[in-house]
Amino acid sequence: MLAVSAAALPLLLGAAGCRSSDAFAGPDPLAGPPPLGHDVLTLQAVIAAEENMIDLYRTASSGDPGTSRARLLRSLLAQHEQHLVQLKARLVPGGSGGPGGSGGKGFPPGSGGSGGSSPRVSTARLRAAERASAADLVRRLVTMPPALAQLFASIAASDATHVTALGG
Amino acid sequence: MTTTGAVPALQAALAAENAAIFGYGAAGAHLTGSSRAAAEQDWTAHNRARDTLAAMISARGATPAAAHAFYQLPFRVHNASSAARLAAHLEDGVTRAYLGLVAVGDQRLRRFGAMATLAAAQRAASWRGSTQAFPGLSPPSTP
Repeated sequence: MLAVSAAALPLLLGAAGCRSSDAFAGPDPLAGPPPLGHDVLTLQAVIAAEENMIDLYRTASSGDPGTSRARLLRSLLAQHEQHLVQLKARLVPGGSGGPGGSGGKGFPPGSGGSGGSSPRVSTARLRAAERASAADLVRRLVTMPPALAQLFASIAASDATHVTALGG
Repeated sequence: MTTTGAVPALQAALAAENAAIFGYGAAGAHLTGSSRAAAEQDWTAHNRARDTLAAMISARGATPAAAHAFYQLPFRVHNASSAARLAAHLEDGVTRAYLGLVAVGDQRLRRFGAMATLAAAQRAASWRGSTQAFPGLSPPSTP
């Protein structure tokens, strides 16, 4: 059986905008930063989506902390926070994407992402967000490097289990 | 970047499916009611998946690896609780195996592997009664 270890996932995204010929010519100091590669852009988009999901869960779990629903939401939120840590770890700081890689994209924390004006986030809305996230990750992983594709698939699988945990 | 070969990854998934088919047989003997019905449903799903994988391997000119006559269970199964734990354990193995397919170069195989990963993780969570942050991956450490 093939062994898969998250710890062994490579960090290959920092130079995604460089081509092999660039190594001989050297960077043009007047050309500005190289364009971000597909992998980096995809990872940034996934990170932004994960941040939105976390924001949604924080909003949803902000009230009635003693209920079983709140306990479930906190548990799922913690798993999304783990997803975010692993995704961000795969962006090399100092690249053109900047530290964390998702600056400027997505909603700022506390804005509620896709509907911050309502403090009440329904379970159905969380289910829909989880389902959409899993589908998006599966769609994106087909063009990613193998190790990152496996991370995306695992996170998508986690999101799919969240749908069930939320009663879907 | 290195992609995994399609046939070895398919064979690994087939091996995991064969182990699951055997294991569900052992688990089902200790289950009753809705749990037993769920086990039978999952067993049927694994049989279908085995046939699909065998056909995919054959289509690539290789011979599907045969199932073993017997599989060593990871722990003693003697009641409904341990049977459910075994089912979750089997699904974890299937999840890991399908993640191997996600690393192949063929995009259709990747999508197939990803969808099978999701299904196995959902079955594992159902048997375990809880979710995991990274189904199929070893406990991650930040690189």
